[in-house]
Amino acid sequence: MTETAVPADATRAGGTGDVMISCEGVDKSFGDFQALKDINLAVGRKEVVVVCGPSGSGKSTLIRCINRLEKHDRGRIVVDGVEMSDDLRNIAEIRREVGMVFQQFNLFPHLTVLENVTLGPRQVRRWNKKKANELAMQMLERVRIPEQAPKYPAQLSGGQQQRVAIARALAMQPKAILFDEPTSALDPEMIKEVLDTMQELAESGMTMICVTHEMGFARQVAHRVVFMADGQIVEVGTPEHFFTNPQEERTKLFLSQIL
Amino acid sequence: MAETVETPQVEPAEESPVLTEDPLTQPAATPGEWLRANLFSTWYNALFTVVFGAFLGYAFFRLLLFVFVTANWEIVRVNLTTFMVGRFPRGELYRAWVAIGLVSAVSGLGVGVAARRRGRANRVALLRMAAPGIVFVAVLLALTSTATPALMVALSALVALGSRTVGMRLPPRVGRYMPILYVATVFGAYAAFSAGSPMTYNNFQGLLLNVFLAIAAITLCFPFGVLLALGRRSTFPAVRLVCVGYIELIRGVPLITLLLMGATMLGFFVPAGMTRPGQVTRALVAFVLFAGAYVAEDVRGGLQSIPPGQVEAAKAIGLSPLKTTLLIVLPQALRNVIPALVGQFISLTKDTVLVAIIGLTDVLRVARAVTSQPQFAGQGLQAETLLFTGFLLWSICFTMSRASQRLEKRLGVGMR
Amino acid sequence: MAGGGEQTAVRQTRPPPWRDVRIIRVVAQVVFLVAVFFFLRFLFTTLMTNMRASGLPTGFAFLDQPTGFDIRGADDFRPSQPIRDALLVGYANTIRVAAIGIALATVVGVLLGIARLSTNWLVRKAAAVYVEAIRNTPVLLIIAFMYFAVVLAALPGIADAVNVFGAMILSTRGIWMVWGEATQPLGPFLAVLGVGLAVAVALGVWRTRLWDETGTPHHRVLWGAGALLLIGGVGYVALGAPIEVTLPTREGRLVTGGIELQPTYGALLAGLVIYTASHIAEIVRGSILAVPKGQTEAAQAIALSGFQRMRYVILPQAARIAVPPVASQYLNLTKNSSLAIFVGYVELTRVTFTAIGNANPAPQLVAILALGYLTLSLFISAIANVVNRSLALKAR
Repeated sequence: MTETAVPADATRAGGTGDVMISCEGVDKSFGDFQALKDINLAVGRKEVVVVCGPSGSGKSTLIRCINRLEKHDRGRIVVDGVEMSDDLRNIAEIRREVGMVFQQFNLFPHLTVLENVTLGPRQVRRWNKKKANELAMQMLERVRIPEQAPKYPAQLSGGQQQRVAIARALAMQPKAILFDEPTSALDPEMIKEVLDTMQELAESGMTMICVTHEMGFARQVAHRVVFMADGQIVEVGTPEHFFTNPQEERTKLFLSQIL
Repeated sequence: MAETVETPQVEPAEESPVLTEDPLTQPAATPGEWLRANLFSTWYNALFTVVFGAFLGYAFFRLLLFVFVTANWEIVRVNLTTFMVGRFPRGELYRAWVAIGLVSAVSGLGVGVAARRRGRANRVALLRMAAPGIVFVAVLLALTSTATPALMVALSALVALGSRTVGMRLPPRVGRYMPILYVATVFGAYAAFSAGSPMTYNNFQGLLLNVFLAIAAITLCFPFGVLLALGRRSTFPAVRLVCVGYIELIRGVPLITLLLMGATMLGFFVPAGMTRPGQVTRALVAFVLFAGAYVAEDVRGGLQSIPPGQVEAAKAIGLSPLKTTLLIVLPQALRNVIPALVGQFISLTKDTVLVAIIGLTDVLRVARAVTSQPQFAGQGLQAETLLFTGFLLWSICFTMSRASQRLEKRLGVGMR
Repeated sequence: MAGGGEQTAVRQTRPPPWRDVRIIRVVAQVVFLVAVFFFLRFLFTTLMTNMRASGLPTGFAFLDQPTGFDIRGADDFRPSQPIRDALLVGYANTIRVAAIGIALATVVGVLLGIARLSTNWLVRKAAAVYVEAIRNTPVLLIIAFMYFAVVLAALPGIADAVNVFGAMILSTRGIWMVWGEATQPLGPFLAVLGVGLAVAVALGVWRTRLWDETGTPHHRVLWGAGALLLIGGVGYVALGAPIEVTLPTREGRLVTGGIELQPTYGALLAGLVIYTASHIAEIVRGSILAVPKGQTEAAQAIALSGFQRMRYVILPQAARIAVPPVASQYLNLTKNSSLAIFVGYVELTRVTFTAIGNANPAPQLVAILALGYLTLSLFISAIANVVNRSLALKAR
């Protein structure tokens, strides 16, 4: 990773400057295959970081390690002062404070939209029904589909389902939200509505780490763009630098293929 | 001038003797056309129809002749009560009617509440499902000698209709509590038989015994099977091994082995001080241990069908493993395997007749025993008694099967 | 870690043991295993104590004791033979019923399944009525009916036994069928048949190669069967009829010739086949319907005839789907053979429980019984797995 005029680097947090999520020396292997090699990344409060790269580069694995959907082998992952370790209490706390939006939405098909969103607050934060419902309706309004509340997920379009998933994550009032390729499973005409929701979220000051191929979103909304390949962070930069003046060969190759 | 190109004549594929789609979806045709298509489509088909039809006609004729003319149904008529409840004290038979009345009332209520929630009930479908039951009751009534049963049945029907009306007036929210009411009714029906008398289920005989065993075994084996299935899919190797070992061991042996084990050996497993379990208890334990393994395999199929993303999403919002299983995994898994589970329960109901082998007096044993009664001995009436027993059990299982098909269809509509 | 902003204080990295995921995993499993172990040990010791209190032996030495009872239908068996022999005779009977039952049930079941999909309405409905009637009836009842109502009640006594075309004699005492008796040692004839089989296979290979090269229809089954019959026939005549057909003949109450089938065996077999065939029919029907409609359409699009479509496209795929459930029906049939005890056919379960009734220790005998069925089940499952794997579509 070269220095030159690139002010941003992986270990220097953007946003407000104080670090929200940090990864130090993180390694992760699946059997013989090493998915993450010595990852060092600091994400600041209110910062939006977009992670991109070819498939198999480890981007999804990285964010799944942050909320323990995968267990990292070496290194430290710290979220707002709490280290992700084998401590049950830490794991539970981090999962409460960090939300996740999945590529396949993963809404619960047997519950209504409203129930999907209130499940977390009622079961995990132990709110009563009234309070949870009020919050849920606020979140559904924020993602602009309050009228879908009594319906079941299968009755909604893909874009609407993903927005419900975002509302579900928001209902836990998280400090940060992780996005794992949120628009990859959507039909083209629905991608915009989800990206608009995510942009509004970013502008309201949410800390976000997004794994995505949507470069338009990265250019417009991200504070920093991280390029990963073969399990390593290859290049980091502000969108201006990243897209107009990439330094590494691999970055240039990748950008030439997708832009 | 354009050349006319001759389109090659393509031979249509020969008509297959086997359909590959549901014949019920074919459009209606005139009777003549229908006959041609379905019975006489080719020469060998026509020949086959004639020969087979003649054979079937003859067999059917002989069957009807047997049932209505040559058979001596007196043996069934005289022993009807014995078939139903064995040697239950005749003076206490009112208990059976109380139980039936209770079940009618709650069933009617359930139907009413369900109709309220789902709007118009499909009368035809309901009738189709109830038809075997109606035939069942009609046949039984035809065999009774007194007027009491007919009166009681009429009374129960009235009670059911009345409670259905009540159910339709109740607010739909009551529907949430119906399952609890159903469970309570089962206990209530049992209480009707045993309250205030020294009789317990260990004294049940006849069809009553089969019904009791079926309901009790189904109720108990279900949670057991679910736990086994969850254990089999556990990430703890030790738990998984034990559950797999149990399931494979039980599925490898015949049910009769377990029943005979229970009958001869269960006493040995009980420490010296405690009371020896009764005969029916032993059979029940064997049924539960046996059916639990099969239920576990069905539920496991359901658990496997849930996308892993569901559990991940639950983890991501911080749901504990227990809550994830209870609120997210099990509701979806069980809904997916309801058809297989009902099939298992139907099998269990059929298997209850096996207790005849270990000496319990269930309906099959009654069927065998009554042919030795002095007034009927040596007349070769086994066909009548066995046919009647078969009819009893078949009606119950067929109704369950129809209900299951209806449930499958409804589940396909409900969630999508 | 390069500067830039405050790092909020990090809590210590080693969690206390009661919250440590790794420790909890190990401890939970250990506790579980210990609990299961103690539970089983409790059952076992209670069993031993109670058995000793009743004076029952706790080892396996009883297997060498004389049996003390007869086995109906096994004429070579003497009650003085040790119990292990009785168990083996019973086991052989179980295997015999299971093997023949599986074969017959498959044939009948497949035919019925295809009948349920026939274009002929009468055949379709008749098959449907059969399947729906039998499937919802307990198998024990069907077996009981076959024995008590059909065999015992409908067949005449030995004095009035029915003779069917000279080839079968039916009575309540037994059923005799035409059979073959060896008049000389069968070695040479079997060798001739072996040669015939080899020639048939060679012919089949040759015809297949011919078809590959020239497109002439191979008819290899006809060629192979024809060759086998020819060589077998020639060998039969040349060796002077090594197998003689014996017809059963009755004089009074005695029947000579032919082979005897016990009525209990016949009734059990009939009941098992009737019941299992109805289930196999449903599976066959379901698996044919489960083949995607697109397959039929594609086959029609390349102008395959109805029979060709079935043989080359539909049935191979349906077979793939059908193998696991049909295998479990085979397992069911094998286990249901234990119901023979109700009609008096002596197989493994019946021998075991008669032995228990004769004051032999139940736990050991039941363990042997369970082991016997488990072995059969594992054997059938293993074969089913091999078939399944060989039929499986190769995936990436």
